[in-house]
Amino acid sequence: MPVEEKIDIDIFKVVFRAIAQSDNLEIMTNHLTQLLVAALEIKGCTLFALNPDTEELEVLASIGLSSKYLNKGPLLTGKSIGATLKKKPIVIRDVTKTDQLQYPDDAKKEGIGAIVSVPIQFYDKVIGALRLYHHEAWEISDKDIDSLLVLAENIGLAMTYTRMLNAFNTIKYAMQEIQPLGLEASEG
Amino acid sequence: MAKLKLLLPYNFTSFDHKALDFVIATFGNSKNVAVTIFNAYTPIPQIDTSATSITGKLKGSLSYLSQKISEQEAELQTIKDKLVENGFEDSAVDAVFQSRKKDVASEIIDLATAQKYDVIVISHKPGKATRFFTGSRYNKVISALKDLTVCVVT
Repeated sequence: MPVEEKIDIDIFKVVFRAIAQSDNLEIMTNHLTQLLVAALEIKGCTLFALNPDTEELEVLASIGLSSKYLNKGPLLTGKSIGATLKKKPIVIRDVTKTDQLQYPDDAKKEGIGAIVSVPIQFYDKVIGALRLYHHEAWEISDKDIDSLLVLAENIGLAMTYTRMLNAFNTIKYAMQEIQPLGLEASEG
Repeated sequence: MAKLKLLLPYNFTSFDHKALDFVIATFGNSKNVAVTIFNAYTPIPQIDTSATSITGKLKGSLSYLSQKISEQEAELQTIKDKLVENGFEDSAVDAVFQSRKKDVASEIIDLATAQKYDVIVISHKPGKATRFFTGSRYNKVISALKDLTVCVVT
């Protein structure tokens, strides 16, 4: 039986409009996870940022998963769905038949049947991951995985843009703090 | 005597749980403290209904998201219950579950300013990478507020 393709141009339009209409990364990423869950009719979705120092995946936005599951422990890139750093999508079609999970028992208790993990990259470097969780075993089509990769590339752009904006704002605020303390006086 | 107004932003992380434990251990036996637990959730996005075949299907699935948000609100109530079980008067604990229009730090700052809280207990995990993308909630709150006590639980 052919695998149904769920992500079409209409889904892309809805998702990208939601992204474009948000000027705040927190709200944008939450809307993105919400829309993916609704469009794909899955259990949940989480967007992670990679901490390069600790090699942990940190939650940026999530919907559909319990706080108990999200707080189960650190997600180490070397153990959690192993190939996250190998820049390739990973499909675990059935969580009961895999050795790729760091917390397999927690996944089963949470009612997760399948997981798809897509790397978020910028300039060929992994900066995060997009993970989708289904209630049951899941046959996702190759085309849908390609679509998720395109989406992840755009998320990577948005994350990098926001990171630079935050850095510029930090510098701006620091300069505003310094200025009254003598920079003007030194000109005279 | 006026009660001390304490704001506890809560986003269900393990560090927020530590902040909750701190509030219980420090203020649990005091009858002179009123606590507000605060969670700002992201509302479901508006979808253009004039468009496409997908809209109907998507709208059906959005009810699942509403259910998930309701579950989050119910979970916030359990945090209130935990405070009451640990010595706070029921009437002295309030749970505010509010749709957010901006980032969480700004929502906390707005609420703290408008409602004139005396104390904020906020959790902070040092070295998080997400701060590069969303900014540090802790830094924003600390630098924006004045004339109140901020307790940071790390």
